[in-house]
Amino acid sequence: MIAIQKEDVDIGQLINAAKKRNAGAVVVFDGIVRDDDIREMELEAYEEVAVKELEKIAGEAKTLHNLCSVDIVHRIGRLSVGENILVIVVSAGHRQEAYDGSRFIIEAIKAGVPIWKKELTKDGGRWVPGEHAHGSGKSIR
Amino acid sequence: MTVKVRFFARFRELFGTDIVTDATPGTSFIDLIKKIADKNREGYDAIFDTNGAFREFVILMKNGRRIDCADAGKTMINDGDEIAVFPPVAGG
Repeated sequence: MIAIQKEDVDIGQLINAAKKRNAGAVVVFDGIVRDDDIREMELEAYEEVAVKELEKIAGEAKTLHNLCSVDIVHRIGRLSVGENILVIVVSAGHRQEAYDGSRFIIEAIKAGVPIWKKELTKDGGRWVPGEHAHGSGKSIR
Repeated sequence: MTVKVRFFARFRELFGTDIVTDATPGTSFIDLIKKIADKNREGYDAIFDTNGAFREFVILMKNGRRIDCADAGKTMINDGDEIAVFPPVAGG
């Protein structure tokens, strides 16, 4: 499952689905809203492009790290502290591949997928700066 | 010809969500964005530097594909194109 959605994610269901017969390890990454003195977080995405890029990242991760399955669900809309933002569930034959594949996916998302976060505070709001500020337009993966 | 321009995040707050605009054949990517930004001083300054070039962190897309800022002057706009302009991404 590759999706950008407002609804929450059933992580248990994704884990069960990831348990393929050839899988020996499932790794779950769950990015959640941290309380940095904020009321809520608002997320927006260039959805059509972001979904395609997530699909590409999932395909690359599967090939590079020999994964059995990849699920990526990124949420948008308003989220409260503690809510799920991004869930990545991967399975692989062995733990090393599963850990490496999961790490590859989160780093690739942070590097280039068009999604933005705004922290809503009691004084207004502030956009979260990207970790990869660039305007070269070139792929940085 | 008609072109759709999409701004995201801080740029969306400055310019609006989706802008459908007319453009004459031979209009470049940077000319089109300048035409829109000229109506909004704060927005213009957020996207362009004092020399009128895209600020180094601005990301450009044409029909879902990234365009190098340095190529924005020679990238021509065609009827039905979807153009996107946005700040660095911060997902995850």
